[in-house]
Amino acid sequence: MVSKVLSPPSRDALTETAGSKPVPGHPDFAFVREKAGIREWRLSANGLQVLLLRSTVAPVATFAVVYHVGSRNEAVGHTGATHLLEHLMFKGTAEYDREKGTAVAAVLEAIGARFNATTWFDRTNYYETVPSDAIEVAVKIEASRMRGALLRDSDRVPEMTVVRNEYERGENSPFQVLYKETFATAFREHPYHHPTIGWRTDIEGVATERLKDFYDVFYHPNNATAMLIGDFEEEDALATVARHFGPIPPSPLPIPPIYTVEPQQEGERRFVVRRTGQIAWVALSWRTVAARHPDTPALAVLANVLGGGLTARLHLALVETSLALSVSVVPWQLRDPALFSVFAPVRPGVDPQTVETTIRAEAARVAAEGVTEGETEKARTQIEAEVIFDRDSTDQVAASLSEAIAVADWTWYADYPDLVRAVTPADVRRVAAAYFADDGLTVGRYLPKDPPPA
Amino acid sequence: MTTATAAPRRKVPFAEAVRTRTLDNGARFFVLENHFNPTVALSGSLHAGPLFAPPDRRLIASLTAGELTKGTERRTKLEIAEELESRGASLAVSAGSADPVGIDVGAGSLSRDREVLLDVLAEVLLSPVFPEEELEKERMRLAGVVREQQDQTSVRAFETAARRIYPRGHPFHRRTAEERIAAIESLTRDELLRFYEQRYGAGAMLLVVVGDVDSDEVLDGLERRFGAWKRGPSLDFARPEPVAAAPGSETVRMPDKASADVVLAHPGDLERRSADYVACVLANSALGQSSLTSRLGVRVRDTEGLTYGIHSGFSATHLAGPFAVSLTVKPESRDAAVAATLEEIHRFRNDGMTPKELADEQTSHVGRFKVDLASNGGIAHALDAAVYYGLGVSYLDEFPSLVEAVTKEQADAAFAKRVNPDLFTIVSAGSFTE
Repeated sequence: MVSKVLSPPSRDALTETAGSKPVPGHPDFAFVREKAGIREWRLSANGLQVLLLRSTVAPVATFAVVYHVGSRNEAVGHTGATHLLEHLMFKGTAEYDREKGTAVAAVLEAIGARFNATTWFDRTNYYETVPSDAIEVAVKIEASRMRGALLRDSDRVPEMTVVRNEYERGENSPFQVLYKETFATAFREHPYHHPTIGWRTDIEGVATERLKDFYDVFYHPNNATAMLIGDFEEEDALATVARHFGPIPPSPLPIPPIYTVEPQQEGERRFVVRRTGQIAWVALSWRTVAARHPDTPALAVLANVLGGGLTARLHLALVETSLALSVSVVPWQLRDPALFSVFAPVRPGVDPQTVETTIRAEAARVAAEGVTEGETEKARTQIEAEVIFDRDSTDQVAASLSEAIAVADWTWYADYPDLVRAVTPADVRRVAAAYFADDGLTVGRYLPKDPPPA
Repeated sequence: MTTATAAPRRKVPFAEAVRTRTLDNGARFFVLENHFNPTVALSGSLHAGPLFAPPDRRLIASLTAGELTKGTERRTKLEIAEELESRGASLAVSAGSADPVGIDVGAGSLSRDREVLLDVLAEVLLSPVFPEEELEKERMRLAGVVREQQDQTSVRAFETAARRIYPRGHPFHRRTAEERIAAIESLTRDELLRFYEQRYGAGAMLLVVVGDVDSDEVLDGLERRFGAWKRGPSLDFARPEPVAAAPGSETVRMPDKASADVVLAHPGDLERRSADYVACVLANSALGQSSLTSRLGVRVRDTEGLTYGIHSGFSATHLAGPFAVSLTVKPESRDAAVAATLEEIHRFRNDGMTPKELADEQTSHVGRFKVDLASNGGIAHALDAAVYYGLGVSYLDEFPSLVEAVTKEQADAAFAKRVNPDLFTIVSAGSFTE
């Protein structure tokens, strides 16, 4: 199935079909569709979306649950609530409780699972990669988390300081400080304004009750996707998911939508962060589009043309010339319109303005003159190869699928290689011209200040 | 509910599935076919690490490794990069930080590009030219990177601890940033060429290829490319003299840092081939491998909320590196966090593991081993390490049994012998006021 990524798209592989293999009927599930080997089911009892992708490369499987809740669903006063809640989901549920010696992490550690949870702008995800004879352990834990979290104040208090240390660690990193400040400057009204970790005083001040309210609004089967990737039998997997998630009712109320739209930016914005340090950084970010927008694949190709390796344009212009120590280009792909960012640590002795000017000149050059077919082909191939490398491990597939679900839907993951394959040099030039506009630009600098006298 | 008990063993043992070939010049090749996904992963090692560089010029080893891809007799750096990047392939040669004996080779491509990948690999290993202009760029970049790292509390804490624990000239010693920048700026092309001539050769190399390939084709291809390479140096190396612990503490003051890093470490005497290696790993795992479930994590993170992350570990390679515990804290919490950490380590060393802890760690390591071997890259890396440390391919088959055979007495005794918190050098780096 992966070879289809490499050859020109075959329509057969892309049309939604019931699949080449017979679809087993199941009393608890409705079969929805199949694409790229992934089968989508919906649990009839509560609307839980379930994705199955078999891969027998090794006797392991990754089970993951993605909730459509992230820092995008927060407002001032409870910024960081999604992330703090994610931490508390390790503390105790009705069945898995650290106070009873059955903490989620201890149970998973004992079977050799690789597990974690992460929070991002548009989603929260929980995942466990386990030996395939232990899949049910992971399914049970995630079902228990969905409605059974205890969320005790005695858990929140010590965990708040853990999260605060996570926040403090982030504040130590010039890159993280720059990216947080970039979003806070580029977004004024939309909740991408605040970082996923939250503002410090919100982390410290949010009440346990507020977290419980948040949990009760968003943690429901109809606001989640469960996925299983790896070595399993489909009928067993469906039965296991139905057994543990089936009894959970759907949400009593509709999941509240986000309706805040960031207005058009009408002029360049700039910020400076001065802290003690050794190295200056420069960040340039242009306002772009939501992941689902048709320009997203061309922006991804553009990012690789500019930053995908030693032969990419910005690497040649900044690192080969010894102006910067490195350069990274991030075409943020989020559910709502996001940014196209370039970050560069400046080599000591170089004026940060020179680095900024160089980045702007390269952006303008792509917009004015376009890119070559060779550059476009290289970028397309790099992105396609990444998708294939992902398939080497079940947890990487789960991670990529989770992001697709968060920002669009899972078929976006299946379609992405073909969307990228279809990008032309003219598309790349067009999106560069459309988005590399000064009025939509935010420029940030991290400048080292002299250490105070000892 | 299904529970994981003793792990089922592989249907075909690695010892049977892995094809190997050793050339007359000493080069060793290992290939495992895995046709699930059209990719290939390569992992390899050469005995050309910092241990073999002059004590005051250790950087020569990492520079030599890093500059291999910067130009060959046939092609420039950018031509080589273009060849790989246009295919989404990658190749890196680097001096690993933990093991001073070897350097690591890592590469990957789609399987349709495997010949190109092997061509480039052979080209950079056999005919590098170390262009002066590339070395000059790298000197400038590296000097900046060293400065950039000095902004990181973790780097400052680890470097200071290493400097206090290991004497100058020792492979685990870390010189100051200023000393290293001076060394970087004075490194010459002749030094790299000389080190390359002395340390690079077929007899010092092993390569592992895992993925969607035909093993005969790969083995023949490797022999064709490397068969004429000189044998080069032997795999022998001299261990440095043992180092006595130097208990004490030091604070590195860095302004404007919201989080501080603390390192507690002493010299270790555990090597990867030590008989009690697995026992030590299981014991350490119960003490401090995981911030969520191990004793240090449960106490300092989960119960007291003093840290986001706390870890302990042995550095056991061809040489015995330090035993170290590291954690991040807000500066005001340091003393409480350090006291709790020391108390837990003392208790663990005095009382040993509980039988449940040992049983959990055993199932955990057997299960995790399976999870880690679930990708081409994971298998290649594990095979490379097993051969590199002289354990052999069959070690991957034996590992679960070795884990299951460890007794509580063995684990407790091994840990108590190898770790003594009274000997820790404790270094904190961050915005401390007093």
